[in-house]
Amino acid sequence: MDVLIQLVLNGILLGSMYAIISVGLTLIFGIVRVVNFAHGEFLMVGMYAAYLLAAKFGLHPYASAVPVVLLLFALGALVQRFIIQPLLSADEHIQIFATVGLSTALVNLALLLFGADLYSVPPSAAQGSVMVGGFSLVKGQIVMFVCALALVAGLHLFMQSTALGRAIRATAQNRNAALLMGVKVDQIYVIAFGMGAACVGLASALVMPLYPVTPTIGTYFVLTAFVVVVLGGMRSMYGAFFGAMIIGLVDSLSGYYIAPDLKEVVYFAIFLLILIFKPTGLFGLGRGTE
Amino acid sequence: MKSFARAALAAALLVAASPFAGPAAAQGTVKFGALYPFSGGLALLGDESFRGFELAVEERNAAGGIDGKKIEFIKGDAVDPNQAVGEARRLTSVDKVSAIFGTYSSSLSLAATQVTELAGVPYFELGAVSDPITERGFKYVFRTNATARDFANRMVDSVIEAVAPALGVKPTDLKVGIIHEDSLYGQTVSGYQKTRAKEKGLNVVEILPYSAKSVDLTPVILRLKSAGVDVVLQTSYQNDTVLFFRQMKDQGYKPKAVMGAGGGYSTRDTMQAVGAENMEGALDVDFTQFNTNPKAAPGLTDFVAKYKAKYGIEPRSGHSLANYMGAKVFFDAIADAKSTDADKVRAAVLKVDIPVGQTATGWGAKFSEQGQNTRAQPFLMQWQGGNLVTVFPEAAAVAKLKTGVGAN
Repeated sequence: MDVLIQLVLNGILLGSMYAIISVGLTLIFGIVRVVNFAHGEFLMVGMYAAYLLAAKFGLHPYASAVPVVLLLFALGALVQRFIIQPLLSADEHIQIFATVGLSTALVNLALLLFGADLYSVPPSAAQGSVMVGGFSLVKGQIVMFVCALALVAGLHLFMQSTALGRAIRATAQNRNAALLMGVKVDQIYVIAFGMGAACVGLASALVMPLYPVTPTIGTYFVLTAFVVVVLGGMRSMYGAFFGAMIIGLVDSLSGYYIAPDLKEVVYFAIFLLILIFKPTGLFGLGRGTE
Repeated sequence: MKSFARAALAAALLVAASPFAGPAAAQGTVKFGALYPFSGGLALLGDESFRGFELAVEERNAAGGIDGKKIEFIKGDAVDPNQAVGEARRLTSVDKVSAIFGTYSSSLSLAATQVTELAGVPYFELGAVSDPITERGFKYVFRTNATARDFANRMVDSVIEAVAPALGVKPTDLKVGIIHEDSLYGQTVSGYQKTRAKEKGLNVVEILPYSAKSVDLTPVILRLKSAGVDVVLQTSYQNDTVLFFRQMKDQGYKPKAVMGAGGGYSTRDTMQAVGAENMEGALDVDFTQFNTNPKAAPGLTDFVAKYKAKYGIEPRSGHSLANYMGAKVFFDAIADAKSTDADKVRAAVLKVDIPVGQTATGWGAKFSEQGQNTRAQPFLMQWQGGNLVTVFPEAAAVAKLKTGVGAN
């Protein structure tokens, strides 16, 4: 019983990490309608940035969250403006190739600059764990959980109660109608892509104390993030959040009760079942909205 | 850059071949290929391996070369198996080298040796550990270094011969857990571990494969913890080693010993990422490292001095040393053959007979019909105070084996 509770707690905390990454991916997919295959590499860029800030200026990764989020926002905005935007009217496949190409380019750039070595920030309190009622919780993961909640709540407020948020939602719902209403759609896309990337920036600053960074670190996280996004209904931020929690729990429980090397099998099986029986995702709005 | 290097090389060859180049040219040269991953993800340790080969060549040339002929080598960059094949073809057919030395990575070696064997060119493997490299019945493939099976056997034997005595318990009373990343590397080593552990009657209670790309190993750790595993044998890369140690601490799991199969356990990066105090006591079976008793590895101190003089830093891993030792053994064999004819070289290699403890790695050299060195044994090392020190076997040890893992 103790082990079960510990596994559930671990699963929720792990899920909150996936949540932050997946919310970013959902924003980009839901608003710009681009499947961003370079999402994992954005995480890698953010982690190297956090590492450099820690190594050169002694910034704690949490303190580096602010510059890293801004950097990633700029990176995302630039990618949208100069890579995706010229391709917006092109076939969807072309956009996918563009992001896949970007991902390969970023991985190799990192290999060139940093080599295949792993880098990590100096040990900090975030790595320690606290005992709560006999269960061990990693402090860094608790911070991630709180940040995931705050991120979703913050984005909710932003989307619901600001003019920009309304414009973003309008663009997501119907690009042409929004254009007719005077929304500058191209600008909205740049902002939305930047916001999606900024979420990854937040994730990278939070992940940095717990995982060392290598050029291929993105692939560790991003495949799971895609599963989460589909599970959550492609365009729903809240769906992505709960999807991430489900994947976190599945990851944790199946790793223990079935076998650690089969946990991917379990959640990809869930992924397939959802695609077969509920193609709009658990929290999708039904056919026609995707 | 590469074409420039080739042009320069061609020019140099022209000069060397011209009658005005002086007496050195008259004696001729012997040409070898050096096939390593010099770029891409494997480049760091590929280059480290190459440095050992380069130092062995320089040393040999300073001492007069092979049979009075200077050694000249041509680099081949094997980024992946496809390129390994391409470069092996180029080296054997265009550059017409007498032999190829390599390779660091097993998949590259397996691919390149297919080409050289058909071309009838000897291939000297100095660092790749996959057993099948010397199990395919090839005539001209030879390997000085220990294989994956040697690693696995040393790990299991160490539990019986070193860990159990240090803990003061009977080996069969220890609960052993085998965990490994689930690619070919982890599967291979753990497969041999299972077999050896069964032969030796060890009590293996958990065998847990996991993906090296896993971001959460707590399920693995909780399984080990619930099963009460005393000794963990892990076959892993860097990231998963770091994750395992961090999460082991988070989950308050305290096994009596943790032993890795080289890979992620040997690098300073891993120790720094985990933290010296958390890595304290972690055992590691690998190629000979630099904190080894020089009496058991004559030439080791000399090698480190030469390395530092040439590259200006401490050796980055034991790969350079293993390649240095292997290259020297094969240079001697080629000199004894008095020819670069493949069959004569093979006969000379099979005649090599160096007892254990007389090379810079502490290994001996005696080759099987398959071309595998039967006197290469990895050593057992331990992280102590942020340094990887050899603790077993006794002759090579510089420190006593300590029990326990980490600060907690």
